[in-house]
Amino acid sequence: MRRLIPLVAALALFAIPLGVSNQFLLHLCISVLMWTVLGVAWNLLGGYAGQVSFGHASFFGVGAYTTMILYLSFGLAPWYGMALGGVMGALLSLPIGLICFRLRGPYFSLSTLAVAEIVRLVALNWESLTAGPMGLLITTLPEVPFFGSAVNWERKEPFFYIIALVAILAMLGTWAFTRSRLGSELVAIREDEDAAESIGINTVRAKVLTLAASAFFAGVGGGFYSLYYRYIDPDAVFAISLSMEMVFLAVVGGLRTVIGPVIGAVFLATIAELFRDRFTVGHLIFYGLFMMIVIRYMPEGIWGRALRLLRLSR
Amino acid sequence: METFIQSLVSGVLTGSLYAMIGVGLTVIFGVMRIINLAHGEMVMLGMFGAYWSYTLWKFDPFVSLVLWVPLLFLAGMLIYRFLLRPIITGDELNGLLYTAGLSLLIANLALLLWTGDYRTLNLPYALEPMRPFGISVPVPLAIAFVLAAAITGALYLFLSRTDLGRAIRATSQNPEAAALMGINVTRIAMITFGLGTALAGAAGVLLMPSLYLYPTVGEILIVKCFVIVVLGGLGSIPGAIAGGILLGVVESFGAVYVSVAYKDTIGFVIFLLVLLFRPQGIFGAARA
Repeated sequence: MRRLIPLVAALALFAIPLGVSNQFLLHLCISVLMWTVLGVAWNLLGGYAGQVSFGHASFFGVGAYTTMILYLSFGLAPWYGMALGGVMGALLSLPIGLICFRLRGPYFSLSTLAVAEIVRLVALNWESLTAGPMGLLITTLPEVPFFGSAVNWERKEPFFYIIALVAILAMLGTWAFTRSRLGSELVAIREDEDAAESIGINTVRAKVLTLAASAFFAGVGGGFYSLYYRYIDPDAVFAISLSMEMVFLAVVGGLRTVIGPVIGAVFLATIAELFRDRFTVGHLIFYGLFMMIVIRYMPEGIWGRALRLLRLSR
Repeated sequence: METFIQSLVSGVLTGSLYAMIGVGLTVIFGVMRIINLAHGEMVMLGMFGAYWSYTLWKFDPFVSLVLWVPLLFLAGMLIYRFLLRPIITGDELNGLLYTAGLSLLIANLALLLWTGDYRTLNLPYALEPMRPFGISVPVPLAIAFVLAAAITGALYLFLSRTDLGRAIRATSQNPEAAALMGINVTRIAMITFGLGTALAGAAGVLLMPSLYLYPTVGEILIVKCFVIVVLGGLGSIPGAIAGGILLGVVESFGAVYVSVAYKDTIGFVIFLLVLLFRPQGIFGAARA
């Protein structure tokens, strides 16, 4: 019976656009799903592998630029571009991982921050490729035939289905990941890296692979962002605050849980929307505040705490 | 040759202020084993302090040090007492995430209060640079350098000559042993955090006449600060001073000889190289 819950949840998710026609509500759902993908991506590395990255915006940004440039310069259909954006994110993560994973704990975190700043500065200054601070803009998306009718990109439904699919794949991926050999290796690494190495686990390989998977989904998320908002510039998609938001939603939702990032994303997107009209930075104040409260009072996150309470009551 | 000396001099001058920020971070790390991600925001607060006391009350920024340094020292102690102390015993990554939250909170509160405008101070004596030996030196930067050197020197004397300073160094070497010798480690940690915050704030006040101010300026400063302390070895004060000056010089040479756009990148690349090949820092003693 319990195995059916995820299936039912997935079906319910896909039914949302049938019942909800309000475009603002759909936008909110899309935003939650996009943040979910990013939170799940970050959680793979930051939660399961215990490697706190402050630089995930670089994978997001590279995904966004890849998708955008492939479409604008080569006319490549955007959905392929999105997947390739993920691939580029993963490719970029390989050298970064090989460099930064020579460091541990807080040193690793600091090095990711530095790398992300390098990537941002390169994107800002490599004007022949990225148009620099001017950014890139998509004016129209091509029509796509879909079961005999054309997809209307002016509506939000197609975007909803795409990002819902990605979110489900990312969560399924996480679930499978925790049950894989790599997942167990990461548990060992998280608990004691030296001990893990001494029993023959190739810790660098395990961490680099996890980072690549994490960067892939962050890149796909970036690709989706570029198509949905149709405009990107380096300060939007490579921002330090973006990396921080990914950290925030995984930590607040619950590290090392499949559902945690969803809770974090609902939280984050709701706060962001609440404040968007009144004052634009209000949400960041709350992110900071909540991050502090959560770490102090429930380091296992909202969903982690809920799970523990559920187990206790049983 | 003239360009070389010119960029060397301006690099050292800026570097002395970087060094002060770095020393603040490294002192805190030494005692608390916490990398304070909100350190850049303390610099930002110092800058805003100098900005407002000049704009509202016509206080010379360099004179306003006597106001802002004690205030930030107090603020640092309060932050430690009420915000940091409860989480200090946990996982060190928790400390990192917690101060990341604090940094987001302070930076965006500043953004809310004071908007994201770029601000500068136009001091009357800043118009004409000094020209000793044919090189040009901005007057505010020269004054800042002298004061930074004096403050850092005073701190060094304080740490090496006074009982309180010895207690701080003892705690940073070995908290358990220090506690057994009768040192109140919590109190030392509180004072140290106040000291580190005050140093960052003082650097902010000194930087104000020479740097653009905006509420998220701490973001870029904290990254530079990491470069500095990693160059010098985390926890080492002479290392942080050397690292700060080195970064100032590298940036200044980079801007002249490589490209202005990539001057910040050079610092980060050095940072990565040092982390990879000499994680204990160029000058730092190897320490676990």
